[in-house]
Amino acid sequence: MSALPQTGEGRALDIALTYPWALLLLPLTLVPFFARQAKSLRYSSLSILPFDGLSFFFSNGVKLLTALVMLLLIVSLTKPYLKEQTVERMGKGAQIVILLDRSASMNENFAGRYFGGGASESKVAMARQLLSEFVLQRQDDFFGMISFSTAPIHVLPLTQDKEAILAAIRATKTRGRGVTNIAPGLYMGLSYFSDIPVTGSRVILLVSDGAAKIDIDTQTTLTQLFHQNRVMLYWVYLRNKDSARLDTKPANINESTTPEYFLHQYFQSMGIPYRSFEAENPQALQEAIKAIGELENKPIRYTEKIPRKDLAETCYLWTLAGLFVLLLIKYFEVKTEQKLIKRYL
Amino acid sequence: MIEEFHYQIPWRTSSAHPGRHPGKHSGGEHDFQGHAPLISRPEAHNIDVHASLLDPFQQYVVRTFRQRSVINVTVIADLSASMGFQNKMATLAKFTEQTAYSAYRSGDHFGFMGCGEDIIPEFYMPPRWYKGGTAELAESLRHYHPASTNAKGLLTVQEYCPRHRALIFLVSDFHYPLQDIATLFDSLLKHDVIPVVMWHPDEYEQLPEWGLFTLSDPETGREKTLLMRPGLKKKIIQAFNAQREQLKHLFIRYGRQPFYLNDAFEADQMTRYFYEQ
Repeated sequence: MSALPQTGEGRALDIALTYPWALLLLPLTLVPFFARQAKSLRYSSLSILPFDGLSFFFSNGVKLLTALVMLLLIVSLTKPYLKEQTVERMGKGAQIVILLDRSASMNENFAGRYFGGGASESKVAMARQLLSEFVLQRQDDFFGMISFSTAPIHVLPLTQDKEAILAAIRATKTRGRGVTNIAPGLYMGLSYFSDIPVTGSRVILLVSDGAAKIDIDTQTTLTQLFHQNRVMLYWVYLRNKDSARLDTKPANINESTTPEYFLHQYFQSMGIPYRSFEAENPQALQEAIKAIGELENKPIRYTEKIPRKDLAETCYLWTLAGLFVLLLIKYFEVKTEQKLIKRYL
Repeated sequence: MIEEFHYQIPWRTSSAHPGRHPGKHSGGEHDFQGHAPLISRPEAHNIDVHASLLDPFQQYVVRTFRQRSVINVTVIADLSASMGFQNKMATLAKFTEQTAYSAYRSGDHFGFMGCGEDIIPEFYMPPRWYKGGTAELAESLRHYHPASTNAKGLLTVQEYCPRHRALIFLVSDFHYPLQDIATLFDSLLKHDVIPVVMWHPDEYEQLPEWGLFTLSDPETGREKTLLMRPGLKKKIIQAFNAQREQLKHLFIRYGRQPFYLNDAFEADQMTRYFYEQ
């Protein structure tokens, strides 16, 4: 994985100050040029001393450094920070919206036995486990999440924040309710892509254990949206032993008893990259997700938001460094007339 | 015990008061002036027998003498802030005390004028015969911290100087433009001015070889940071030597070599200075 930060133009303009009124102190930086030295040795008359270039540059350099340190200190007082930045990065991966079925049947295991929300044998628990691993493996992917049953729930928009997406997946521990209503979920999933630029592969990962009938108008709209947003569809079908298969024509073919078959037919007919994975047990589910992981490894361009960064600390550090240099110079300075005159007794 | 030095002048004073120095007036019996006929000078005890015998007019001839008179010895001191460097004031006090004492011992009048921006009243002593010297003046000089930002008062001292040609010791560090020094000496042309240059070795010769320090000029208030190194020290000493050379040329134009006064001053040096002239 390689993320190349591309610095945007005019980055310097992105610096802002928390307490700009501290800049009122700026005239103080002129003090070193006009103030008298605290420790100067009384001499008779400077008029006779010859001009010395090195001393001139040194003393003015020290004054300049003092002014600079004061400037840095004042800038530190304003508590400057780098504004939130959007950086365009190149990464390998995809924009993946996880569309997780939260219908009541997801709380069953593959044998059809019903479990509570927190159980670890249920289909949703399996899916949770494997999706978490999947998310962790995919470093540069964007993930979005939608839970759906009768109606879809907007959980998380497309983000790179792994913590957030893992938390969203963990949050599915509550008991599932309702029926599997796929069309609104797909709508919402597609809406995630509608107002962001196409920067790489876009995938809707539909994880469900069943299907529902989608009427013909909705089908047309969905097809259009899939094409418009250039979204691929992966369907992980968590199949019960007695449920219908996707690609073999069931015996009693009927849209209300075997909606999965018709949905599969519809997905295939859409003309978008579509793959389905039938998972009849935890191992199969694992393999299905592994297969998806291998599929989506195209380069992706994306913008990343970098949170605002406090620069005061850096400023204080530089101030400290400057002060140290000044202290060192002061340390070596002769401060008393007694020390100035070396008497050879 | 206060040391004293002996001074002598290569000119005749017009003062009428009897004293130790060659004067312009006739009188006394130490300074042979010439011969005069007895008729014009009826002083029989001064008849010069040898000269009378040799006189072509065969008159009695008497010796005439010039009177020895007192002179004024005046110390004019620059009391601007630059004179506060190191122990210059102590040296000045010592020098003043010795000069006053020497003048007293020679029977001469002594005067003192200390100048800052103006003549400082505290340090003005009119030319008088100060018996036993001026211990108090020396004492107050020793404790004085000069603070004047210039020594313009020096240009006005001629108004307060004695009427007759006086012997003036002009004590200063002469850290002024040569032009100003020339103006000062022009104003004192009437007098015999001995430039006493007060330089302290700490100002140049005894500066350290290495060091970083800021010097402040007490008169202008300016500051100068010096990154001292052997090369710079050499340059400073050279600058002082060049100034010394220029001062010497200037002072000789006004008739006197400068006398260099530092804290190692001894009265005998001044005696020798007068012999060397």
